[in-house]
Amino acid sequence: MGHLYTTREKYRSEQLEIMKRKCTPPELVCCAGSREIRDREVVFVGIGISDLAGAVAKLVHTPNVILVAEAGYIGFPSVAVLISPADNSAGTMAMCHQSLPEVFIDQQSGFIDVAYLGFAQMDKYGNVNVSYVTGKQLKMNGSGGGGDIASSAGRVVYTAEFNPRQWVKKVDYMTELGFLDGSRDARKKANLVGGGPSAVATDRGVFRFDSETHELYLAEVFPWQDEKDIEEVRKSFPWDLKVAGELKIMEPPTERELWALRLMDSTSNYILPSILDRPIGRIVLAGKLNLEGYDEYLGMQEKAFREILDFIS
Amino acid sequence: MKMAAKALRTINYEERAKDTDYKKRLNKVMTEKEAVETFLHDGDSFCMGGFVMWRQPESVMREIARQGKKNLSLIDESGTFEGIDLLVELGMLDRIDTAYAITRQVGGISGTPALERGLKEGLPRPVEAGGVLATPKDKVKSDVPPLKIVDWTNFQVALRFVAGGFNVPFMPCRSSIGSDIPKYNKEIKEITDPYENKPLILIPAYKPDVAFISVQRADRRGNGQIWGFKGTDYWKSRAAKYVVLLTEELVPTERIYENPGLTTIPAYCTDAVVHLPYNCHPTGCFGCYTVDGMNFISLLLQRQSRDGALKWLDEWVFGCKNHLEYCDKLGWEKLDRLAKSEHKLNRIPA
Repeated sequence: MGHLYTTREKYRSEQLEIMKRKCTPPELVCCAGSREIRDREVVFVGIGISDLAGAVAKLVHTPNVILVAEAGYIGFPSVAVLISPADNSAGTMAMCHQSLPEVFIDQQSGFIDVAYLGFAQMDKYGNVNVSYVTGKQLKMNGSGGGGDIASSAGRVVYTAEFNPRQWVKKVDYMTELGFLDGSRDARKKANLVGGGPSAVATDRGVFRFDSETHELYLAEVFPWQDEKDIEEVRKSFPWDLKVAGELKIMEPPTERELWALRLMDSTSNYILPSILDRPIGRIVLAGKLNLEGYDEYLGMQEKAFREILDFIS
Repeated sequence: MKMAAKALRTINYEERAKDTDYKKRLNKVMTEKEAVETFLHDGDSFCMGGFVMWRQPESVMREIARQGKKNLSLIDESGTFEGIDLLVELGMLDRIDTAYAITRQVGGISGTPALERGLKEGLPRPVEAGGVLATPKDKVKSDVPPLKIVDWTNFQVALRFVAGGFNVPFMPCRSSIGSDIPKYNKEIKEITDPYENKPLILIPAYKPDVAFISVQRADRRGNGQIWGFKGTDYWKSRAAKYVVLLTEELVPTERIYENPGLTTIPAYCTDAVVHLPYNCHPTGCFGCYTVDGMNFISLLLQRQSRDGALKWLDEWVFGCKNHLEYCDKLGWEKLDRLAKSEHKLNRIPA
C-alpha cells in the first residue's frame, strides 16, 4: 500500500500550522484516499473526488494499477479528472474500450479489487445513503453504479469531505450496502460478492471498520490534529465513536501528490466548492460565451493534457 | 445546410412510404423530424444511447419537445439529465426509470432544476420519487397526474435491456440485495434461487418502443459503428422495437467493411438513420467533439427559475426549426473549437 506515516514530533508547531493552511479539504481527502490501494490492483473509480484519489495513486504511488470507469473504459493512464465515467480522458490510451454491462459483469465475477465511492450519509456499519434526505425533502443524485459497486467490489474506499451531518444513526435510504446490521456474516448471508467498505478517507482523518464488530472507528489522523480536534471529530457522531488504540499519524500531502492533483484537476472542478468561483463559472458569468471564452477554458484543459501526456509517454 | 437539403431530395419519399417494414429497407436515411414523427407516439416509452454527458442524442430531446409529445416514459441508466429536465419542464414525461440524476453536484446550482421544482412546488407536475418523497399535498392539483421516478442501479437498468435483448422475462443479479432499492421498487423481485438456495435479485426485462442512439459512423442501410465506450447501446438496440441512429458521419457501406469489429449495431436492428453532425451537443462525442461545459453552466444558470427555463425553451428549442438552426444560432466556430479540443486526445481514423 502507498501508506505514508510519520510522527507528530517530527514537525514544529508553526510548521504544522503552515502545512494545514496549505491544503484545501478536498486535497487532503484525495491524498489520504490515494494511499489506500496496493500496486497491480484493479481499481474502479467514480467521478470527482472519488476519481482524483485513484488518479493520484496511479500517477504517484502505484503505477501498475488498472483503472476502470463504468461506461466501459479500462486501464487508462488518467490524463484528467473524470467529470463523468464516460469522459474522453478515460478513453485516451486505454487498454480496452467495452460496454457498461460488461464492466459490471466483470465486477460481479470478482475482477475488481477495490473501488472508490463518495457518500452523503453513513451509519455505524458503513451503510450509505446517496438517494433521499426525507426530513428536508431532498432528492440526491441516486445510486448510479454505487449500489452495484458496494455490493460486488472486493472492497470499497469512501472519500468525502468531513461534514458532521454525514453521520447518522440510521440512513434515510440505504442505497449502498455496508455491513448491513453489523452481524458477523451479514454480507455472506445476503449473498453479496464483495467484501464491503474498508476505509473512509476524510480531511479529518481516515476511518476503518473493526474486523470483528464491523463498527466504524478513527484509525489515522493528520499530524496537526491534536487531542482537542479528535474530541471535536468524535462529538460530531451520534454514537460513541471508538478511536484506535494505536492511532496512526499520516504524512501530510507530499509535493508529488499535490502536483498530480493540480495537473488532474486543471480547471479546479473539485478543489473549489462553488461552480461560480471556478474558471468556467467566472468565464460564463463574465458573459464570455464567445470563441474567446471557449479558447480560454478549453486552452486551460489542453495545457494540462499536454503536460500529463509528456509525463506518461 | 443547403447542400444537405439537396442531398435529401434524391430520396423518393413516395416510393418509400409504401415500404413500411423499416428494418428491411436498403436506404433508411430520414430527417430527425421525420424519425421522431414516425416512431415516437404519445404514451410511448423510449431510451437514449450513450452515458452521462457523452454520446447522448440531445438534439432528439429538443425535437421531441418541439413536436409536443405527451405521456412519455423514459428509461436510462444515468441519464442525459439536461435533456430529461427539459421534458420534465414541459410536463411531457409520466415516468422516469433511472439510476442517477445530477442534482446538487454541479456545485451550488441545481443540475435538474425542473425536477426539483416539481418536487417542491408541483410545477408543472407533482413528482413522486422512489416511493420515498413526494410533492407536499397542498401543492398538488388533483387534475394533474404526478411524474413517477423509479430507482434502480446502473447495472440493473442495463440488465433490463439485456433481458429485453435476450427475449427472456428477467435477468438475475447480485447487486443491492438487502438494500432499500428493492424495498421501494416493487418491480425488483428477491427470490431464493432454486440451485444454491441463496438470495438473488431478478430484474424485469424492458422493451422500449424507441431507442435513439448516437453513433460516430453509419451507412444508409443502418450499420452503426461506435468508437470509445459502448455504454449499453448493444442491448438497447436489440431490446427496442424501433431503433433510430443519429450519426456524425454518413458513409458508403464500403467504409463500414474497413472496421467491421466496430459495428455495434448491424443493419437488421436499425429502422432509421439520421445524418446529423453535432447531434450530441451540449454533451460530447468520443473522437468527434468534447463536452460543451460552458454551454452546460450557462443553460443551467438560466433554467434555475421556471420563468428563466421557459424563456430558454423559447429561445433554444421552439425558436429553432431544427438542429441545424440550433447550430447556426450557437455558432459553428464554437462547435469546431470543441472538435479541435477533442482531437487533442482522441480521433476517429479517416
